[in-house]
Amino acid sequence: MKELKALIKRDTKLFFKDKGMFFTSLITPVILLVLYATFLANIYKDSFTGAIPAALPADDALIDGCVGGQLFSSLLAVCCVTVAFCSNMLMVQDKVNGSRNDLTITPVKSWTLAMGYYLSTLIATLLICYAAMGVCFIYIGIIGWYITAADVLFIMLDIFLLSLFGTALSSIINLFLSTQGQISAVGTVVSAGYGFICGAYMPISQFSEGLQKVLSFLPGTYGTSLLRNHALRGVFEEMGNEGFPAEVVEAIKDSIDCNLYFFDDKVEIGTMYVILGVTVVVLIGVYVVINGLKKER
Amino acid sequence: MSERKTIIQIEHLSKSFGDLKAVDDLSFNVKEGELFAFLGVNGAGKSTTISIMCGQQTKDSGKVFIGGKDLDESTEGIKRELGVVFQNSVLDKALSVRDNLRYRAALYGITGAVFEKRLAELAELLDFADLMKRTVGKLSGGQRRRIDIARALLHSPEILILDEPTTGLDPQTRKLLWGAVSRLRKEQNMTVFLTTHYMEEAADADYVIILDSGRIVAEGTPLQLKNKYTGDFITLYGATEDEARLLGTSPEKIPGAYRIEVEDTAHATELIIKHPEIFRDYEITKGKMDDIFLAATGKRLTGGENGERA
Repeated sequence: MKELKALIKRDTKLFFKDKGMFFTSLITPVILLVLYATFLANIYKDSFTGAIPAALPADDALIDGCVGGQLFSSLLAVCCVTVAFCSNMLMVQDKVNGSRNDLTITPVKSWTLAMGYYLSTLIATLLICYAAMGVCFIYIGIIGWYITAADVLFIMLDIFLLSLFGTALSSIINLFLSTQGQISAVGTVVSAGYGFICGAYMPISQFSEGLQKVLSFLPGTYGTSLLRNHALRGVFEEMGNEGFPAEVVEAIKDSIDCNLYFFDDKVEIGTMYVILGVTVVVLIGVYVVINGLKKER
Repeated sequence: MSERKTIIQIEHLSKSFGDLKAVDDLSFNVKEGELFAFLGVNGAGKSTTISIMCGQQTKDSGKVFIGGKDLDESTEGIKRELGVVFQNSVLDKALSVRDNLRYRAALYGITGAVFEKRLAELAELLDFADLMKRTVGKLSGGQRRRIDIARALLHSPEILILDEPTTGLDPQTRKLLWGAVSRLRKEQNMTVFLTTHYMEEAADADYVIILDSGRIVAEGTPLQLKNKYTGDFITLYGATEDEARLLGTSPEKIPGAYRIEVEDTAHATELIIKHPEIFRDYEITKGKMDDIFLAATGKRLTGGENGERA
């Protein structure tokens, strides 16, 4: 236990001290913020306003809350995975600079080393994502707050699960990387691509039907949807209170991925949790097994 | 004096990477408290052997016993016996010296007051008490090397593996490091397993093995190797070329003198008796480790680079 604790402290400290790794992990959320601040927020706002029948009352705070909730959920969904990938790059850097050899000549078991990387990455990811969540809550509070205490708890749970998922996924991929070039390549691909495939940059509902079907196989998609559902639940409830027909609310939910469909079957929130939870368990299991088998030949 | 016990025993060790035989049927013993030098050009198999001993690479065949423990059965036990100073510093450059040593010590179960005590001992031995708060990345090469050695000694290992420890260091730091190593050997009877490109360091070893293409091509004490692979050298100061040629061999001109290789010390003595008028100012020395290495492998060991075929 002493060994694991020391490894977690070392790895976490290194991540926060390495400005390159730390700031790289924030690139995707910052890109998302810039996109929203410059034009995406307006596009969403206009499309909401245009989609709502003129006869229905919809105050600005409700629309802003809806757009803000989308930003909030997209940002956190991306953050949980990209921060995990960048933080977990320490595992590869240790191979590149030889520190890994210095760790493996100690009597520490390989699974302890593996869990050290996993848990330190999880801690770093959670710290950054919960801090981002706090900033997002302040923003939502300013533009239109429709979130209950239960929603906050669910959002925290969603962030936790998505961080577990991002950390496990990055741990498996990083096990096979061993050069600085590979670190850069994977970092770039994940930072640029993950936002698209999880529906953060653009709702999956706006993709072609075939692509939607493919993306419905990716567990990260459900993580984004969970966050979106909990960030916007209050907004939808308020819409109902203000007399929005259930069909309109459902249509809005469909359009921004709060409702996800596996082929034609709607995936319930409970099922999304099961998918994400099982994926995390499987990925961690795979990580531990590969790590155990992957002794240098 | 009683026979020293064997602390490292390697039997028929082999390791290949594809068609390349990195280590080919290697067998040798290292005695407790010995300074053991392992020489060879890059790719000779030194690092592979060390990696196998440290449990970082698997072997194809053969047996490795360290401190009486079989590597196949007690890798973790063996890891506690070994301290390794790698060719390049592998400490975390972004962390302070204290943090680096604290986190590494914890991996051996050394924490709290025990760690503080050990840290103080090592800081005194290697003279780095004033560097504790400094970030490793900001230390000079010599300072960093001292911390590398401290890291290797944290758990008081029985065997210290030094993989080209002084490459690129200034003479003062090299002297400090060798002073510390000598003290450890003297006070704690620590066994030192050394690979180096500095032949004068190997000359001080108790036993030397020269590797080439994964196989042992020469082994013995430095004296045995000198006697077997090189002759003696007469250095004649203030002599003319004609006088040097009188000794019947091809003299080599060196600044202020001529250097003549002779078969052995007895032959040198014969020459002195035969030509006393020439031996006004002279030295008789054994061959150098470079000469042994060249004679054994046909290659020169050049500082840090691949050996060149002579």
